[in-house]
Amino acid sequence: MFEPMEDLKQLYDAIVDGNAGRAKTLTTGAVAEGMNPQEILNKYMIPAMDEVGRRFEINEYFVPELLIAARAMKGALEILKPLLTATGAKPVGKVAIGTVKGDLHDIGKNLVSAMLEGGGFEIIDLGVDVTPDKFVAAVKDRGADVVALSALLTTTMPSMKTTIEGLKEAGVRDRVKVIIGGAPVTQKYADEIGADGYADNASAAVALTRGLVSK
Amino acid sequence: MYSRERVNAALRHQRCDRVPFDFALGFSPYQLDQFRIRTGQDDPDAYFGADVRGTGISPTRKLNQYTAYLDPSTLPEHAYVDEWGQGHIPTVSHDQYHSHLEGYVYPMLALHTREEALGYPLPDIEAEYRYESARRAIARYHDQGLAVMAGMACTIFEQAWYLRSMELLLMDFVDNPEFATALLDRITQKRVIQAERFAELKPDVIMFGDDVATQRGMLMSVPMWRRWLKPRLARILAAARHVNQDVLIFYHTDGNATAIVPDLIEIGVQILNPIQPECMDPFALKRMYGKQLSFWGTLGTQSTLPFGTPDDVRRDIQLRCQIVGKDGGLLIAPTHMVEPEVPWENLVAFVEAVKQYGQYK
Repeated sequence: MFEPMEDLKQLYDAIVDGNAGRAKTLTTGAVAEGMNPQEILNKYMIPAMDEVGRRFEINEYFVPELLIAARAMKGALEILKPLLTATGAKPVGKVAIGTVKGDLHDIGKNLVSAMLEGGGFEIIDLGVDVTPDKFVAAVKDRGADVVALSALLTTTMPSMKTTIEGLKEAGVRDRVKVIIGGAPVTQKYADEIGADGYADNASAAVALTRGLVSK
Repeated sequence: MYSRERVNAALRHQRCDRVPFDFALGFSPYQLDQFRIRTGQDDPDAYFGADVRGTGISPTRKLNQYTAYLDPSTLPEHAYVDEWGQGHIPTVSHDQYHSHLEGYVYPMLALHTREEALGYPLPDIEAEYRYESARRAIARYHDQGLAVMAGMACTIFEQAWYLRSMELLLMDFVDNPEFATALLDRITQKRVIQAERFAELKPDVIMFGDDVATQRGMLMSVPMWRRWLKPRLARILAAARHVNQDVLIFYHTDGNATAIVPDLIEIGVQILNPIQPECMDPFALKRMYGKQLSFWGTLGTQSTLPFGTPDDVRRDIQLRCQIVGKDGGLLIAPTHMVEPEVPWENLVAFVEAVKQYGQYK
């Protein structure tokens, strides 16, 4: 017999352990049993990714564990997505994320993107070398609530500033929160260029984004 | 004192006239253009009197066919595929500031089994003919009194993920160990021979390296690094040492790799590079490991060099020379490439300050 609580605790564990196959099987099972997809997501999957983030912050998990957990989360989420859409469920927020103009480094950006998605956000991944107008379009046309900017080099950090200026010129700066991150980036730099927030790792970026969209 | 003696003495904690220096990864193309315009010369190392020159293997004459792994028609026209089969897409669309950046295309993304990892063609980096030009370069530089570093960076981990992608390789470490083992072992076998060949040529230093840390700590856990990378690196370093008792073993990793420093010392690393001061404390490292390890780098390319004043640069250099350079064990260099926004005045201040504050009495 299907034991919803018991099986979904196992779904939580499967995501924390990064077991994608098991996470998908358990999610499919839960859906087949008529469990509410929103409840599966909010009560088990997102808390699992929060636990992954917590372990990452205390150096119990490193990038490999984070990647396999995010993959398990993504696999389970793919099953739920159509159902969530059908029920009209809304994501916590919509984040347009990209590596800024001139910069091609995407490993950090991809990690933040995966963790945000695991945290319940809808992700608009604009890729690398993203010009300010593409961020503007993501806000205007696709309704992003948050713009997340990544840069690895001191040489490309100034593109964060020009992106924020681009959002201002387009008249959409007030509609979005802007967060920044990347190796040379600091809180001080975020303050200087008028970003709304800075995080030094992917897990902290989730907490930061949640704080900003709830304001 | 000749540069070669200075470098060898300093990095062995022996007496010499002053702290040696170099420009590590050199100048970015924009910075090099600016240098040429300003000085009318071509070589910053010669102009500033850097103590070290680099050398490496020459291009292959036996290029493998990689079209089965990376369909050339999927790449933009200005992309190229290197001898390992990795695709590179240089930036072209923007100003010359960013012209030294490249996007990567990974040829092993679709592979899964051990057999597939074994079947992937690897280049002939170990072939004897590829070391002839290095042999000549080492002789030429030594004649000029310069120290020479033979480079084999991206030794194991980076070379593997350049083919597989970092995400997949790190996940392979957890859930596809057969694939990762086959790939890493094959690269290691070639690197062992490469290390022996370089050691035979008697450069002063051999550069090994893999970026295994981020600025907040290790990319993977220490146990995972010990399982996957340490034993293979140890084999490669031992191979070099077996052939040449005198060559200095240099290891590069970006980020904060403090957690594996004792392991690196244990397997024979003598020089650690680049010690990014933004995330790794060169003074603490000197206190903890200064007797067993030398430090190469320490001038922050995310902080002082691009954004400080010439006085900030001088102050950094003075402190580094006095504390980290005490009783030798220091070669000062920028921690990474000299990026376009670094002011010329800061480069001049760097070199002048080493020559001024780096003097040993």
